[in-house]
Amino acid sequence: MATATANPAGKASAFEEMGAVPSFQVTLFVRRFDPESGEEAKWEDFDVQVHGTDRVLDALHKIKWEQDGSLTFRRSCAHGVCGSDAMRINGRNRLACKTLIKDLDITQPIYVEPIKGLTVEKDLIVDMNPFYEAYRDIKPFLIASDKPEKERLQSSVERARFEDTTKCILCAACTTSCPVFWTDGQYFGPAAIVNAHRFIFDSRDEGAELRLDILNDKEGVWRCRTTFNCTEACPRGIEVTRAIAEVKQAILRGRP
Amino acid sequence: MSIIIETPRSPRSRKSANWEKYGWLYMRASGAVLIVLIFGHLFVNLFTGQGIKGIDFAFVAGKWASPFWQVWDGLMLWLALIHGTNGMRTIVNDYAEREWVRKTLNVSLWVTCAALVALGTLVLFVFDPCVSKDLLSPAMWQQICSAK
Amino acid sequence: MTTPKVHHYEYDVVIVGAGGAGMRAAIEAGPHAKTAVISKLFPTRSHTGAAQGGMAAALANVEEDNWEWHTFDTVKGGDYLVDQDAAEILAKESVQAVIDLENMGLPFNRTPDGKIDQRRFGGHTRDHGKAPVRRSCYSADRTGHMILQTLYQNCVKLGIEFYNEFYVLDLVMNTVDGVERPSAVVAYELATGEIHVFQGKSIVFATGGFGKIFKTTSNAHTLTGDGVGIIWRKGLPLEDMEFYQFHPTGLAGLGILLSEAARGEGGILRNSSGERFMERYAPTIKDLAPRDMVARAMANEVREGRGAGPNKDYVLLDLTHLPPAVIDEKLPDITEFARTYLGVEPYTEPVPVFPTAHYAMGGIPTNVKAEVLRDNTTVVPGLYAAGECACVSVHGANRLGTNSLLDINVFGKRAGIYAVEYAKTAKHVPVPENAVDEVLALIERVRNSKGTEKVATLRKELQETMDKNVQVYRTEDSINESLDKITELRERYNHIAIQDLGQRFNTDLLEAIELGFLLDLAEVTAYTSRERRESRGGHFREDFDTRNDEKFMVHSMAYKTGENPKAGEDIKLGWKPVTITNYPPMERKY
Repeated sequence: MATATANPAGKASAFEEMGAVPSFQVTLFVRRFDPESGEEAKWEDFDVQVHGTDRVLDALHKIKWEQDGSLTFRRSCAHGVCGSDAMRINGRNRLACKTLIKDLDITQPIYVEPIKGLTVEKDLIVDMNPFYEAYRDIKPFLIASDKPEKERLQSSVERARFEDTTKCILCAACTTSCPVFWTDGQYFGPAAIVNAHRFIFDSRDEGAELRLDILNDKEGVWRCRTTFNCTEACPRGIEVTRAIAEVKQAILRGRP
Repeated sequence: MSIIIETPRSPRSRKSANWEKYGWLYMRASGAVLIVLIFGHLFVNLFTGQGIKGIDFAFVAGKWASPFWQVWDGLMLWLALIHGTNGMRTIVNDYAEREWVRKTLNVSLWVTCAALVALGTLVLFVFDPCVSKDLLSPAMWQQICSAK
Repeated sequence: MTTPKVHHYEYDVVIVGAGGAGMRAAIEAGPHAKTAVISKLFPTRSHTGAAQGGMAAALANVEEDNWEWHTFDTVKGGDYLVDQDAAEILAKESVQAVIDLENMGLPFNRTPDGKIDQRRFGGHTRDHGKAPVRRSCYSADRTGHMILQTLYQNCVKLGIEFYNEFYVLDLVMNTVDGVERPSAVVAYELATGEIHVFQGKSIVFATGGFGKIFKTTSNAHTLTGDGVGIIWRKGLPLEDMEFYQFHPTGLAGLGILLSEAARGEGGILRNSSGERFMERYAPTIKDLAPRDMVARAMANEVREGRGAGPNKDYVLLDLTHLPPAVIDEKLPDITEFARTYLGVEPYTEPVPVFPTAHYAMGGIPTNVKAEVLRDNTTVVPGLYAAGECACVSVHGANRLGTNSLLDINVFGKRAGIYAVEYAKTAKHVPVPENAVDEVLALIERVRNSKGTEKVATLRKELQETMDKNVQVYRTEDSINESLDKITELRERYNHIAIQDLGQRFNTDLLEAIELGFLLDLAEVTAYTSRERRESRGGHFREDFDTRNDEKFMVHSMAYKTGENPKAGEDIKLGWKPVTITNYPPMERKY
């Protein structure tokens, strides 16, 4: 891409590149599926003019707003905190709003398809209900019997124990990158285990045993094959595989 | 009135014994033990004595004359075959999409495994080194077979 | 075109919106009344999750503080347009609101002795402005995310019924005993295109803001003000719509929010020469001045040629003097935004920032019980509003940072409590026969429109005119220019065409409908901005650059009066007195 040469210093920010080179053209291959047409899913290509700081989401918006209004995908916050727009971009699960186009190989077409393992409903939209159901199954809420008048005390060290897994935004990038989930939709999946971890290791919570029992299921943590796909896919940088391993150890110990 | 969202999959059953957990534990435990057994086995067979050239009927007969090596090889046989079969099972579960294919493959896997383990164990403990004087050195014949 | 299927439901409490305010209301209502929460998004996608810095409460966990100081700061921060009785409630109930959240499981950052940690934030001071105070309870720089997750987790615990990806497009009113009352809301289901009528004894609007009327905004694509627009179309008033907050530190060119916590933790704003320019504008609390002042100061630096960057069009947020460990612990997300989106490393480089449209101080007028008002004093029985869509008014002319997460918790909770109280004694208001006609007509009009105009083009032109003319600096001429543009866009909106004519997941159709709401709200914002001929808080008029308490120490109340193609000609404007208890208006200096 031409922008690279505009800043020989190398450390120049993307913002300066933006001033130097206004735009370039990319081709997107988007997996389309229209449930009302009766046709099978197919790839459709679009040429889009994009900007140095544009993300894949911007390119999809350009297609929807300028070329084909029927292109359908979920999105909301557009900066990686709401978790709406997880999709498979060039074969990897990512958030479209956190993937800068210039960071992809733009000499090749960019392939965008729905996340795998959940039923596709239309274009890039999948049925998220099985995913949410697994999340709800692990009792994702604080279980505590005491009724404190003020805040419960918790040390910074105790908080640090589960901080990583509080970052989850339920985007499903991890679960739908997991080969076990692809073939066995019954598997709880990384995201549910991450959210269980968030409570199992919270010093204020009393439901650890219950959750450990739930995850000691034949569709629970033991199905994890430590392929690290989930850790790699997580747009929030959560060490998912590590969290799953910690839950396994907790089950063997019988306590967090 | 309210909508009940249909359960997109059957509820998880909670009654069956937790084979996945034991399977997971077994893979790790047997893996650790097998590292010792296999490398010990390789070391004894390849590096002690005359190395690979020394391996013949007599060498095997000599080893299996000792209960120590009978137990060693027996453990290796059981742990490795079950470890491998369980590994194959997870691969089958990953790739076989149809239930009957999965079941057939898994059943044949475990049948094969059981047969191999049974045969191996049988050989290990009923092995007769004294079939012919030509296969053993006179000293060994003297040591192992003269009592019979 | 076949008529879509229509479903009917009966609930005691119907809550529209599943962000912080909606779910906080649901947690109060759910256990006591049959409650439904209807949301255009899955609950954790709501924009509460994007809030970063914290939630104010005078816990006094790290230094002396009390709710009275907090009340004063809120009133002064809002440039005295705050209703002081409401601000008092906000500040008093803040402590319990934070404790509630902690008890629900929210993982706040902690002090060394295990209590909830607190940090400084813009406009929050000790003893009536003497020095910044640590009042913001926080969880790294993702406090909103934690609040949203915690509230949803508790809704799961309570088994609250959600209708996700249902777009509420209309409020059905009916007159019983000579009083017009809410009867039901009509929603469009994204997945199927079917229509759902939710009858409720109490109806709570918690639908959030409408930042998408601006181009550069920290708001989500989905923040199109549907709820506020529905209320507007019913002829109910909107209050203080001219007051829109521009957050000082949006990532330059993108508008993505970088929390004020960055400055609370010691970050400094600098112009092109490296000068800490806030020393000139707010000598006492400098970079921690309220947002309106900082945003104007930044815009002024750029206007006067002291902007940084190749085009001199932004200023710099300098965090380089902070230890990387502090940045990692307290500001992890926003520094990652700078890395991801601008390729800037905040450990070593200053981050380009510029004001971004952030928060609507105005909205649906309510009293302190979250009851919606139909004029200055009369309540619409059974109709409630809370959160950004509502105007209590606790934010007045400018909201203090961390007071919005507080607002949704305090007034969301109140809305839930009072909605249940009302539902316990009230009967369902009958749903008229023709309840869904307006929504069906709206959908059919958009679907069958055979014009040549594109929704995206109109929306872009609207956002551009609002950014250019009704942003940080406003004048009579610039506002009139935007109103003329809105008139033109409204005409062109009648000639749009959409491409997706399907029933399932038709976001093309919904974007067109959302644009209708945006046009309405932009019109009200521009109109009220023109009529308030003074400068106060977030509203700055270059042609009337001082505060005029004699004429404008009042809330604006705008009513839609009918159809007139010319923007501004279909609005009736009223004024509502400000409630003053303890703090007579003073000059606002920091």
